[in-house]
This record gives sequence, structure tokens and C-alpha cells, in this order.
Amino acid sequence: MKLIALALAALMPCLAATADVDKNKSLGNPSAPLMFELYSDFMCPHCKVLHETILPAIVLDYVKTGKAYLIFREYPLNIPQHANARPAAVYAVAAGRIGKYQAVSDALFKGQEQWGMTGKVWETVAAVLTPEEQKKVQALAKDPAVLAEVQRDVERGMSAMVNETPTLMITYKLKQQPWAKWADYSFFRSYVDGLLKK
Amino acid sequence: MDFSRNKLVKIAVVVLRVALGAIFVYAGYVKLVQPWQLFAAGIAEYEIVPLWAATFLAKTLPWFEVLLGLMLVIGRWSRTSTVIVSGLLLVFFSMMVRAFAQGKDISCGCFGPNEMISWKTLLRDGSMLAGALLLTVLAFRNRRTAA
Repeated sequence: MKLIALALAALMPCLAATADVDKNKSLGNPSAPLMFELYSDFMCPHCKVLHETILPAIVLDYVKTGKAYLIFREYPLNIPQHANARPAAVYAVAAGRIGKYQAVSDALFKGQEQWGMTGKVWETVAAVLTPEEQKKVQALAKDPAVLAEVQRDVERGMSAMVNETPTLMITYKLKQQPWAKWADYSFFRSYVDGLLKK
Repeated sequence: MDFSRNKLVKIAVVVLRVALGAIFVYAGYVKLVQPWQLFAAGIAEYEIVPLWAATFLAKTLPWFEVLLGLMLVIGRWSRTSTVIVSGLLLVFFSMMVRAFAQGKDISCGCFGPNEMISWKTLLRDGSMLAGALLLTVLAFRNRRTAA
């Protein structure tokens, strides 16, 4: 009985992770052997670097080849310097509801320095949306379900002990490994390729 | 009076040696249960050694830390072990001070991947270095006195 309970406890994060995935905030095949959950903050400079330099390689090597399912998780840090991180995350999730998550997230990271200083988050988001999409996203950004989705991601990250951004939670055969070291992509690739050979 | 003072010093030295040894064993163990690539990536973040050296260090250093820790705990070859531990801690501490002075926002890699370099980690590692140096001095002095 104890063993069954332990096995269920081990399974829970993985089962829960795939159950509430917003399809607009994920890439790849949900039944891929690996699951990557990327916890990031739109105001974090390291997240910008990862998004623009390493993430395309991860998508090319693992997501497009069907080896990994990539889920984007919002993890706005609750610190005064990142005061606009949560509104940015809310707009990104809202944009995701109309299939524009990638476009908005690219724009937010690209203009991070500008809107980070001016606080003009909406202007950055609006620049990649049509007037009709803008209306929808503004309405969705006030939707309690969207706000709850952001909060759910934060809580999931906290329970997974994510304590820095960007962190990629790697799940393979029910085992989770957080990865937050991005000095060199080759070490990440060596680890993930090693996992796939197991 | 002198006897009890000497005894107290001896006890303090043993406690310090065993504590430092246990910390080294723990530091090595924590790295060994993580993927070596994670430690290698952590070493690479310091931007001091080339990638092949980071790979080599990540695969060997944790075992070396465990071995050194055990040598300290057991208390054999104390001159050798204290000299090597002091040297290692001096290297680690210098690397951390350099990274901190450069404003690098990286983890120290001391006990696993999730501990950012801060005044707290510098103070802790600096204290460990001071303890190791003290043990080294005492190890050499005791040998000379015995001779």
C-alpha cells in the first residue's frame, strides 16, 4: 500500500503537468519521450539570452525531431525590479488564447530593455497584434482564468523548487531534473542525449 | 591547568578536522548524485577553464572531494590532506571572489547547482579556508614537536 502511494506520488507531477497544458503554450508532440517545461520571466536578462540563442537549438534538436514536448511556464519573479514581469506574463498567456503566444513572447524578449525601463508592456505586445487581436487580448488579460493560469505556473514552479530563471524542468521516465546552467549548450545536449540512450 | 588547555585545543582540532572532512564528503556526494554535465556547466560559468577541463573536473573533482573528506575524518596523512584541502579551498575561494567582483550572477557550485555566489557563500568558504589553513599549520607543528 505504501509502495503504491509512493508510486502515485512520483507520478502526480508528470500526470498533472500534461493535464493542464495550454496547447498554445507548448511545442511538439505531447507523447514525446521527454518533457521540457521552461520556467522563465520576461524581465530576466538570462531568459532573454536563452530565448534568443539556445532555445532555437533546443527546438531544432529535440522538439522538431519528436524527442521532446516543450511547455512554456510563466515564472515572474516577485521582486521590485521585476514589477512588470507579471503583467507581461498575463499578456503572453492572453495572447496564447488566440494563438499568438510565440509572437508576443518573442516581442517581449526582444524589447525587454525598453519596456523594462518604460513600463510600456502593452505597447510592446500590441505592436505584434492586429487591432482586432488587441481587443481580444486586452479582454482576455482581465479574464480570471488567464490570471489563474499564470498563478498556476508560478505555484507549479515553486513546488518543483525552481529558484532561478530560466530553469528547464526535464522529465524523462517519471524522473525530473531541473536544468538552469546555460553557459554552454553542449553540456545540456550531452545530458539529454545520455538520457535518451538509457 | 596546562594539561586541560592542551586537551581542549586537541579536541577543538579534532572537531574542526572532522567537520571539515564531513563537509567535503557531503560536497562531493551532492555533486555525484547530480548529472556530471550540470556540474561541468557550473564550472564553465566561471569562464576560467576550457570546456574540456570543465568536463574533466566535473567527472573527477567530486570523487577527490569525497576522498579528501574521508582522509580528514579518519585523521591519517593529515599533513598531506590538510595541505591539499587548503590549496583546493584557496582556489575555490579565489574563483568565487573573482566572479563576485566581476558581478557574475552565477551559482557557486559548492553544494550542488542552486546556490548563488553572495556575501554569505564567501563568508562560509572563507571560514572553511581559515579552518583548513589552521589545521595545516597545526599538522606541521605537531609533527615537528613530536620529532
